[in-house]
Formats: sequence, C-alpha cells, structure tokens
Amino acid sequence: MGIVNATKTPARSAPLSEGSVLGWLRINLFSSVANTILTVVALYIIFLLVRGIWVWGIQEAVWSAESRRECFKISKEGACWAGVINWLDSIFYGRYPREEIWRINVGGLLLVLWMAPLWIPRVKGKVIIGLTTVFLYPFLAGYFFSGGEKGIFMQVMVSAAIVCLVAITIHAALGFFANSSLLQFLLRITGADKSSEKNQRNVLLGLLAAAFIGVFVWQMSWQFESVTWTKWGGLFLTFVISGIGIAFALPGGIILALGRRSKLPVIKVLSTTFIELFRSVPLITVLFMATTMFPLFMPDGFAINKLVQVIIAVCLFNACYMAEVVRAGLQAIPKGQEEGAYTIGLGYWGTMGLIIMPQALKVMIPNIVGSFIGILKDTTLVSIIGLFDILGMLRAISEDVFWRGLHHEPLLFGAALFFILCFAMSKYSRHLEAKLSTDHKD
Amino acid sequence: MIVLATRDSKAASAHIRPKEEFNFFQDTRVRSAFYQILTVLIVGWGIWYLISNTTHNLDRLGMNTGFGFLSSTAGFDTDFKLIEYEPGVGTYWRIFLVGALNTLLVSILAIIASTILGFIVGVLRLSNNWLVARLSLVYVELVRNTPLLLQIIFWYVGVFSVLPRVKNSFDLSGGAGVLIINNRGLYGGWPVPGDLFWITTATFIASVIGTFFLVRWARKRRDNLGLQFPIVKASLALLVIPSTVVFLLTGSPMSWDIPTLQGFNFVGGFTLPPAFLALLVALVAYHAAHLAEAVRAGILSVNRGQTDAAKSIGLSPNRIMSLVVIPQAMRSIMPPMISLWMNVVKNSTLAVAIGYGDLVALFMQTALNQAGYAIEMVGMTMAFYMTISLLISWVLNIYNKRVQLVER
Repeated sequence: MGIVNATKTPARSAPLSEGSVLGWLRINLFSSVANTILTVVALYIIFLLVRGIWVWGIQEAVWSAESRRECFKISKEGACWAGVINWLDSIFYGRYPREEIWRINVGGLLLVLWMAPLWIPRVKGKVIIGLTTVFLYPFLAGYFFSGGEKGIFMQVMVSAAIVCLVAITIHAALGFFANSSLLQFLLRITGADKSSEKNQRNVLLGLLAAAFIGVFVWQMSWQFESVTWTKWGGLFLTFVISGIGIAFALPGGIILALGRRSKLPVIKVLSTTFIELFRSVPLITVLFMATTMFPLFMPDGFAINKLVQVIIAVCLFNACYMAEVVRAGLQAIPKGQEEGAYTIGLGYWGTMGLIIMPQALKVMIPNIVGSFIGILKDTTLVSIIGLFDILGMLRAISEDVFWRGLHHEPLLFGAALFFILCFAMSKYSRHLEAKLSTDHKD
Repeated sequence: MIVLATRDSKAASAHIRPKEEFNFFQDTRVRSAFYQILTVLIVGWGIWYLISNTTHNLDRLGMNTGFGFLSSTAGFDTDFKLIEYEPGVGTYWRIFLVGALNTLLVSILAIIASTILGFIVGVLRLSNNWLVARLSLVYVELVRNTPLLLQIIFWYVGVFSVLPRVKNSFDLSGGAGVLIINNRGLYGGWPVPGDLFWITTATFIASVIGTFFLVRWARKRRDNLGLQFPIVKASLALLVIPSTVVFLLTGSPMSWDIPTLQGFNFVGGFTLPPAFLALLVALVAYHAAHLAEAVRAGILSVNRGQTDAAKSIGLSPNRIMSLVVIPQAMRSIMPPMISLWMNVVKNSTLAVAIGYGDLVALFMQTALNQAGYAIEMVGMTMAFYMTISLLISWVLNIYNKRVQLVER
C-alpha cells in the first residue's frame, strides 16, 4: 500500500539565506512579530539617542567662548564644549606650571621609547627590558616630573636609567634593522668578538662603566626646576598613581598568591589574612585609613605626603586583588605540571618561575588586564580625599568663575576619555589572548 | 627490589633506604621551620614597630583613645535617616547605626534591582534580534569602561540635581500625586495601616505557611507519582486571593500618607534625596552591566548537547530554559553574582562623593573630623564591611557546596 500523489507537489520557495541583505534582515531582525516589535523599539531608541547627541553635542554646540554666559548667548540648546577646551591643559596636567609641561610629555615619550622594543618581535632580551621598565624608568620619570636638587641616590639612579634607555634604544634599532643585538655590535666594533668569554665580559663591563661615568658627569651639569606634588594633577596624576599601582600589583600579587598556596602554614595564614583583610573592605576606607592613620604609624619627624600615602594604599589594595587573579590562574594549571617539574629536579623557585608561572600568566591575561582597567578606573577615587586627579579637575571646572555650573560637558568628556583607554586595553587583551593561545581551535 | 618492597614494605624499605644522614642545612623540615620563624619575627617586629610608633604619636599629640566617645553626643545633622536622630542629643553610636542602615538600604535596593536588570540585559545580549543584542552590548561596554565614581557624579549633578524645581514638580504617577519627583528628591505616598489591618497581616502569614506546605506536598507527589502540579499559579493564587478578600471584607483598613505641597516643600509620605537616587541608579546601572556579562557567559557555558537532548525528549522551549539551561547556568552565574553583590555594598561607599550619608560619609568622614578617634572609627567602619563580606561569602560557600557537581 503506497501513497500515490496524482498532482505534482508545488515547488517550495528557496530557504532564506544569510547571504543576501534581505535574508539577513529577515532572519536577524524580523523573524517573528515579537522580534519585529523589538526591532522597531530599538530603532526608535537609537534614533532618539543619536538625534539627541547630534543636536546637543555637535549641531548646536559652542566650541569657542570665553565664559559659560557667552556660550548661552550663542546657543541655549547646545553643549558648551568651549569650557572643556579652555581647560584642556588643566584636565591633562592639573596645575603643573605651563612652561614645564614638556617635561611630562617627554617623560611619557621616554616610557613609549623604553617599552616599544617589547612589541618588536626581532628584539631579544625582552624580560630584561621589562624589568628595567619597572625598576629604572620610575626614577627617571620621577625626576622629570618633580625636578629640583638631585640627591646622590637620585643622581646614580637617573644616570643608570639614562644609560639603560640609550642602550635599549640602540639595541632595539639594531634588532629591528640588522637583526643583531647591542652586545654583538659592541663586541664587533671593539674587535673583542673573537676573544675569550672572560675578556668579552670585561670589555662590556668597561664600556658600561665608561658610559655610566660619562652620563653621571654630564647629568651634574643640568637640573630641572622643582615642581612639588601639590601641583600635579589631571590625567597625568591619574596615570602616575595607576601606573605605580599597576607596576606594583602584579609582582605583589604573585608573591601574595604564592604565599597563599604555600605549604608552610605560617606564610599561608599570613598571606591569606592579608589578602582577605584588604579584599573585604572598600577602597575608599583604605584611602581614608591611609590619610588618617599612616601619619600615626610613622616615627617622630618622619612625614610622608598625601600622594605617597595614597600610592601605598593603592598598591597594597591592588596587590591583594591581583593575588586572587593569580591564584585563580595557578589553580587552572594541572597538578601534573608541578609534579613533573619536581621530578626533573627543579626546586620550588625553578618550578614556579619556569614551569607554572609562564603557563598561568598566559591563562590569566584577560583577568590581569581586567584588573589593570579596574585600577585605572578606581584611581578616580583619590579625588574624594582631595587630590586633583582627572575627575577632580573635571569637577573643578564647574567651580571656576567663568564656567560655574558646567557639569555635563566635562564629565562626558572624561567618560569618553576613560572609555577609549579602557576599551582599547580590553580589546588588546583579547587580541593578546588569541595570539598566545595554544589551544586547538574549533 | 620494588616487587619485594610491596610484599613486605616495612622490612624492605628499611633495607633499601640509604642511611639517613641528618644534614642541618639541607633538611626541608629545618628549612621550613626557619623560614616560618623568620617570617613571624619580621611581621611581628613590623607590627610592634607600628604600634609603638602609634602609641608614641598619640601621646605626643595628646589624642584620646578608647570607645568612650560612642556614648557622647554628636553635633552634626544628616538629611536622610531611617531611625530617630537629633543633633546634640544623639550619640556617635547612633550616628554609626544611622550610617550603617543607610548603607544597607541603598545596597539592598541596588542588589535587587541590578540582579533583575542584569538578568534581563544578559538574556538580551543573546537575543537573536541583532539590533537588540548590539544595543545591549553598547550599554554593557559603555558602563563597564567608565569609572563608577564618574557615573555616580554624573547622575547626581547631571540628572537628579537639574530636575524641575519644587513648584514644577514632575508627577511620575500620572496625576495621582503618589510619586512626585523634583530637584529635591523623590516624594512618595506611604501606606498607613488602619485598626483592623492585623487581620489581613495574619491571613497573609497563614497563606505563606500554607504555600510552603503546598509546595512540599506537590514536590513529594511529583517525586513519588510523577504527576505535575501547577505550583507557581497555585501558590500565587493562595498568596494573593485570601489576603485580598479579607482586606476588602474588613473594609480596606489602609490609608495613604500622600506627600502634599506645603509652603516651599512637600510634606508627608517618604522622601528620597537626589543623592540617594543618583547613587542607587548608578549602582544599579553599573552592576547590572557586569552581571549581564556573567549571565551571558553562564548561559553560553551550558553544553549545547544539553539543549539538544532536552529537545529530543520533547520538552517545550520554555521548559528547556527553566528545567535544563537555567539550573545549569546558575552554577556558573552564582559565584560572580554574589561577588558582585559584595561589590555593590563596597561601592555604595562612593556615596561620600555626593553627600549621601552612608556609613563612610557619616562615621569615617564627618564624625572622624569632628571627634578624632581615628583608629577606633576606621576600625569600626572596616569591621562593618568585613562582617558583611564574610556573611556574603559564607552564603556563597553554602550555595557552592549544594550545587557542586559530584565528580568521580
């Protein structure tokens, strides 16, 4: 018994394909009645937002004026970006003397110069470059920013940093253009590349000492005008605090996380207590504690200024948060890796530094960058305890005589600035994660 | 040799093991004891050093210590309080309570609202409507990549402080006068129970107990006989209908204390100041965006095979969601969600920037500036937040133990 159809089955229409524009629209926007309503509502919201932003922020906006009143005279409906533009220097540099601002810019450029080799694939010795960024660059930058009389310690550190910067730059250029390294280059021009290893080391140390002495003598001939920390402000101060916080958080976090996973009970208990203590209280209470209680902790006649108090608090706080990120990364590494490392005779530090940490750090990249973004955002809290970071400067505009009551524009400008910074960081971390991933792609 | 060892391990290992040479510097036990003692000494010395400096400084500055200040009266006022407090009459302990309650109020409201909004946005992120998914992505990225403090200040100075003045107040309830908003805050009606209202309350409590037993009975029946029972509808009916009927039968014993314009301001009902509203809205928007990401990741983490299997045994899409996907997604949503709740409580301290009287603003800032006692006040405030954090992580641990996959 079969089923016989006398008539020909009518051809069905071809299925919707995502390839065509109409098909894409049908599938993604108008697949059902509910979906169509949602689409229309969403379109309406987008229309309102875009029109509002366009009219207020661009079409009717005032870009140059001397005061808020003048803005109102020109346009009542639009934004008064003139206030933000007039204050741009202050937003970025705070009350730093205008003729000295180049020092901040140069300091920032030096950091770019210092760290750029890390992104050039052919350059070798990236770990050393990274370490010098953390341990030498801050002294150079610190002197650029604060200036004044150099103590003997500062003279040594600044000279060392300058020698290091020059060496890194030449090294990077050689690596990039000639696929060579500074060491090879130096040995070749001194003709020591064929001699014994000991001889080579002596030549290099001699050159290093000569360079250091040369720079040391040279740097004694100049000094910058002193700028006290109370004049620091704006985005610059935000970068200083969050930069130090970031630079300290990772090593501090790694040490605390290792301590928390240690087999020695005392170290474990101490690290755990420290981490949990800081993680369970809000940052602002830690900052208040720093400003009210640190002065009490100090011995007689030894005072630390507010900026240092805040930086210490930010560093401790963020190290504890980073410790948990690192711990999560360590937990993701199978125990076999550790056992394997011990079997081939590595000790504790060898196991951690050569086997566990490199794998764990790779797993942790998104979370580490997430924490960095968090640090950058959290740094705005210092405006509550009276430092003029970027948020402090943005709010100061509305208290300026000429721009009284100008709230929206500065805050939106600041929000846009933060968004660009943080969004770029998180996008870059995704890129890095994909690049370093050794998993099988599906 | 090794085979021998398994047979008579004690005797064999005694033979195999080389004579133990006790080397003091190579022995791991000696080393670990040494490191630990060294750590204790360093930390102990550090703490002792800080304490001795502090006591010395306190003596030198002539600062008072001790918790006696808690019973002395405080001289400043705050505009938002949930319990009675009069400046000049209320004590510092009272101030602590006022601040703690304010913190708890805004935190609890923000937790509830951001959880709901976060789930909605998280599901919208996965919507098959491209435009809706994109729009929620834009919201999430915008909110997550700007500092919370900046958002709070924006809501405060940019939105809630530039609302119409009292005279031109905006009525959110559409002319009923129950919910009024202006640049001084949100004014709302407050229900005042009448004499016979206790009967309604009693009925309601009885129906709650009834619902509890109904749910238990229905579960047992389902487990034993495999019969479904419309639990949600039945319990909703049981909760709503008897109380409403009793309420109406007793003659609706409830009146509303409605805010009315008297002179230059509204009087009556409840008032929420702009700072409170700004803080609440900012906290909700910020944490909802973070939660949305956790919800999205949680739903995506449920294996596709689970949905396919559920489809193949003939479950309807709604049941697949509620019986298969959500319970499994919750396992990975819950931990980040609870740490977000903790963050809500911690971030509510940013109230200090816009002048809402939370614990930090009242006790750690104003009271500390007026009375001194830095160590005690900082310690008490931190202890408060630590207690809450401990409570929340305790709840999380209990939950984690309950839902943990039993692995081989």
